[in-house]
Amino acid sequence: MNQVRVAVLSGFGINCETETMAVFEMVGATADRVHVNRLVNGEMSLDDYHIMAVPGGFSFGDHLGSGRLMGNRLRFGLRDQVRRFVQSGKLVIGICNGFQVLVKMGLLPGDEEVSLTQTASLALNDSGHYENRWATLEFDPVSPCVWTKGITRMRVPIRHGEGKFVTNDRELLDRWSESGQLVARYVDPATEYPSSSDEVLPYPISPNQSWRNIAGVCDPTGLVFGLMPHPEANHSTWLGATWTRDVEDGEHGEGEGLAIFRNAVNYAEENLL
Amino acid sequence: MGTTTPVFSFEVTTRDLAGLPDARGDSVKSMLASNYNLNVESVRVILGYQVRAKLSPDEAERTVYDLFADPVMEEGSVNTRLLDNPTIFSEVPQIVIQAGFKPGVTDNAGQAGLDGLLTLFPHLANDAAVATTRTYAFWGVPENTSAEWLASKLHNPMIERAAIASQAECEKSAWPSLDFPDRPALEQTTPAIVDLEVSDEELIDISETGLLALNLTEMKAIQSHYREPSVREAREKLGLPQNAPTDAELECLAQTWSEHCSHKIFAAKIHHKDTETGEDSTIDSLFKTHIMKPTLDIQKKVDWLLSIFHDNSGVIAWNDEWSLCMKAETHNSPSALDPFGGAMTGIVGVNRDILGTGLGARPIANTDVFCFGPPDYSGNIPEGLFHPSRVFRGVHAGVRAGGNESGIPTVNGAIIFDDRYLGKPLVYCGTVGLMPRTLPDGRESHDKTPTPGDVVYMVGGRVGSDGIHGATFSSLELTEESPSSAVQIGDPITQKKMLDMIIEARDEGLIQVITDNGAGGLSSSVGEMAELTGGADLDLAVVPLKQAGLSPWEILVSESQERMTVGISPEDCAAFEALAKLHEVEATAVGTFTDSGAFVVRMGEDVVAHLPISFLHDGCPQLELDSEWTPPTHAEPILPDVSEMGEVLLRLMARPNIASKEWWVRSYDHEVIAQSVIKPFCGVNHDAPGDAAVIAPIQGQTQGAVISNGIVPRYSDIDAYAMTAASIDEALRNAVCVGVDLDLIAGLDNFCWPDPVESAKTPDGRYKLAQLVRANRALDDVCRAYNLPCISGKDSMKNDATLHGEKISIPPTILFSLIGNHSDVRKAVSSDFKSVGDRIYLCGESHHELGASELSYMLRDESNGKSGIGGRVPEIDPTRNLAMYRALTNGMENNLVASAHDCSDGGLAVSLAECCFGSNSGADVDISSIMSDCNQIDAWGALFGESLGRILVSVKSEDCEAFEASMSGHACYNLGTVVDGDKISVNNGEDRLFSSSMSNLRSAWKGTLDGGGPQ
Repeated sequence: MNQVRVAVLSGFGINCETETMAVFEMVGATADRVHVNRLVNGEMSLDDYHIMAVPGGFSFGDHLGSGRLMGNRLRFGLRDQVRRFVQSGKLVIGICNGFQVLVKMGLLPGDEEVSLTQTASLALNDSGHYENRWATLEFDPVSPCVWTKGITRMRVPIRHGEGKFVTNDRELLDRWSESGQLVARYVDPATEYPSSSDEVLPYPISPNQSWRNIAGVCDPTGLVFGLMPHPEANHSTWLGATWTRDVEDGEHGEGEGLAIFRNAVNYAEENLL
Repeated sequence: MGTTTPVFSFEVTTRDLAGLPDARGDSVKSMLASNYNLNVESVRVILGYQVRAKLSPDEAERTVYDLFADPVMEEGSVNTRLLDNPTIFSEVPQIVIQAGFKPGVTDNAGQAGLDGLLTLFPHLANDAAVATTRTYAFWGVPENTSAEWLASKLHNPMIERAAIASQAECEKSAWPSLDFPDRPALEQTTPAIVDLEVSDEELIDISETGLLALNLTEMKAIQSHYREPSVREAREKLGLPQNAPTDAELECLAQTWSEHCSHKIFAAKIHHKDTETGEDSTIDSLFKTHIMKPTLDIQKKVDWLLSIFHDNSGVIAWNDEWSLCMKAETHNSPSALDPFGGAMTGIVGVNRDILGTGLGARPIANTDVFCFGPPDYSGNIPEGLFHPSRVFRGVHAGVRAGGNESGIPTVNGAIIFDDRYLGKPLVYCGTVGLMPRTLPDGRESHDKTPTPGDVVYMVGGRVGSDGIHGATFSSLELTEESPSSAVQIGDPITQKKMLDMIIEARDEGLIQVITDNGAGGLSSSVGEMAELTGGADLDLAVVPLKQAGLSPWEILVSESQERMTVGISPEDCAAFEALAKLHEVEATAVGTFTDSGAFVVRMGEDVVAHLPISFLHDGCPQLELDSEWTPPTHAEPILPDVSEMGEVLLRLMARPNIASKEWWVRSYDHEVIAQSVIKPFCGVNHDAPGDAAVIAPIQGQTQGAVISNGIVPRYSDIDAYAMTAASIDEALRNAVCVGVDLDLIAGLDNFCWPDPVESAKTPDGRYKLAQLVRANRALDDVCRAYNLPCISGKDSMKNDATLHGEKISIPPTILFSLIGNHSDVRKAVSSDFKSVGDRIYLCGESHHELGASELSYMLRDESNGKSGIGGRVPEIDPTRNLAMYRALTNGMENNLVASAHDCSDGGLAVSLAECCFGSNSGADVDISSIMSDCNQIDAWGALFGESLGRILVSVKSEDCEAFEASMSGHACYNLGTVVDGDKISVNNGEDRLFSSSMSNLRSAWKGTLDGGGPQ
């Protein structure tokens, strides 16, 4: 059993579990599809896993705010299991709807105590509607985030209607910035690395007009990470937005998004096995 | 019980934070500006949740921020109006409108709210309900805009209610307030007996007043069934009325025999005359002759046609491990009445067809094709119809919600505009499914394996009074009396939970037979599957209902959404039910499959229907119809001076049929499942139009599937044969552009026709039927030539609307959808030119074919009809086309093709511009070489004609020699070069025809259908 085990949550409108399981397996882990109710009824337990992934989707149809109802199911129905998992130094990722879930349940940006208190949110895009388009991310090189180590930039699709990162306490933003928690930001691909900025970039470089161009954040430990874009959807070169222009025949292989999952699996192999 | 339970009113609105707009309010503002040219200063939206539950005051208070309002970015309240809070709304609004659903209409947000409430307070499970409202507050409304007018744009009275506060009322803080939408109590009626021993006029009257959509011959066939002594004898034993049907029986027959379910026109005996050729012949079933026969003939030559025609979708073997299936259908009538709900039920409905294929397939891709009236239509709109822009917005939103929330990518589609879709829009929804060839238990997944004794389960949603008479209603024309009960709203999350559960049950080997509940509800789903075992016994008394009091016949035919009917072996029932419980899906045993020879329906102990399977499925008499073809005549187009060509192209790019649909398409998720290789948009700025979609559905593997569509309804104004041929060629051409494997392609034919049966209401029925005959002949000829079997299809034959005496019929329209194999997606080709210096080639022959072209229609519209659409409509030479397609595909496999884009609406000129958009470059082109194809062709015909079988290709200069060699023997002309800069220059030898700015063309192309909105 010397393999990293990943619990990929499913059910209630989560819909990216297939590709999320696939990317973890591509980088050497084993991944299980875990219906949330199987954790609630005790049939399965998070304790048996090293990584928990909350995939994208439309849990509960995004009604009452995206991620809200699933967040409540986890916050109220699985509170102890989730806190124990995080406090034992295991890894968590939330992608798109999964990120919304982690933010609404207070796991991100989070706090040392894992108190599950919501401090930020994801508002409707300024465009007022759902969009699917590609964006470029830049990662904070000094962030404690385990998932993004060594990655500078990445091209990824965004697919959401509510991805504008906001908070009601602007001082928190500065604090998160200093602690390296504002780990992924939208960036103009025409600029030189590094060039992430706090000033909101024009649409569609920033597809949702997120504050400080925030696309993803981590918790203070860097083990819990979430982001609106979908790195799992860029697992192979032939899934890129412009691959027919920029990938030569014979150069096909791993996509840019896979690095995130490899980082986590490597970390788990070194620290959790 | 409800009367003692209090209703709490929760409200939520966006918090006032710098940098956080009220995006919901802003969307309403931009919609009013875009659709109605009305500019208001500001709109705020307040979401309301009416909660009927026994909450304590403390619990209610806690619920505000634990459930309904976001504690960070929203303000919430319970039992106080946010509009009364001056720190949130410092200025009194001018108009306030509150909208909410009518009782009984599906309220998905309300359902989610209830689920969330029960997460917090599980003990409320048996006595809680949640309904939602939306309150719109307006400031700075232009004078003479009435509150009633505004309200009419913000709700659909067919399914919603609205309350209004005028300025005077706002000043008194008399805010609009809707009551909790209580369903009216229903009174269950005992089964009625319908006496059919009456005059012919009365038989027709029974059919019409009961919305049965049965004609006199059919009514008489039913009458004579109940006269048969053996039938009477059997009925006496069962305690049923001997001489007459029950209402449940008559309804069940009407559903099963409806045009919608049994395709009577395609099965009819047709006497066909052609006044041009003198043909006088009889066709015994268009379907059997021209659709089934060619496919069966192709099936003899290939080994990959696994399941055709008899299941919910057609199945092909994709490789040794996996099969693919595809189905497309329309949801036109409901979308006319409630664009959002109608379209949403369309997409989630066709998803269920995939789930109900074989032993259950997983939907992996959607395609959506819509036909609307022009978005800028300024003519008279008959009362009872919506403006096309509102239909467009509503349909788009419905498909977006249905597809996105189900986690199924929308990979391909089209939007077509024509005045005649004003009466009935066409909403085609298609879905591709994937299933393992064999299940873990060894059964082949494309075959159903029912046995008598299997338990019938109804899975998913409950049955309500919504969706009664959908099948028969869609078999009738639209009138002002069309019933609102035929309209529903889908619930994608209930369906998604069911889908997850069904796929798991399939893989565990629990499913013996499965089908969806669509048109006709349980009467069709159980009735159809009963044919497989030879009978079924159904108990309506145990069917879970949305509201008590439904009558037996209503339970039997209700088309309430999100339901599958599944057959399970008795020994697997416990496991099946446990799986349903885990997924929080309702699954109820409602009957048993039998071999009794009859479909027996009971309400508890009482038999309410007893229909012999043979009569139910084969008793409907064949229609006999007359068809007569005389070709129409049209004036020739009046072409402008060649010096105006550049200006003409600019205007053509902005035509809604050609303009970019990016604003709309981007709001579909096209990439979920991480399989999207060729996306709807490509090019350096991700904004050039793709051709076919390519997906690689098995993660990490490089075998792909190609999905494309062809639709050209304009051509049926000249000849429906040409229209059909062009649709098939367009679908295949698009697939060839991305490198489809031509040895593994399958098609779907989807007919939408105006009523082709001659009658007082349809005096031109013979002509419309002749169009149908010609369309079928084209399908037969072209599919055989392309070796392209039709594996599934659908027809919708009553696309007429008569409102206040005005009849609007759609142009005969075929959507031809294609699914094919792609051997290696890494060799897929996109439409955008790649590099400056690449050579541009046109493959395929050009003829002088401007008939019914987009250019001819534009010139007609601009000249108020003086310029005609006539001339030659594009003709097909499938053998020549296929040979060229094979050569080009070969070139792609050898990496010789840098880009490929098909020439369709607007011809070569439009295609050239679109390829340049993708590379942000210009092009230098000389068309003189293609003039040799045809001695009548001129520059207009070459550049704007829509000759079939043409693909615009670019090739790296170093590959040109090899490419030309690979195309030898086929029409393939070197036209010029991709050039740096912004100029698209087109010459005919020495003559400069035009030189246009690429960026101007792009702005025109992107401007027309920009949906607006704050960005």
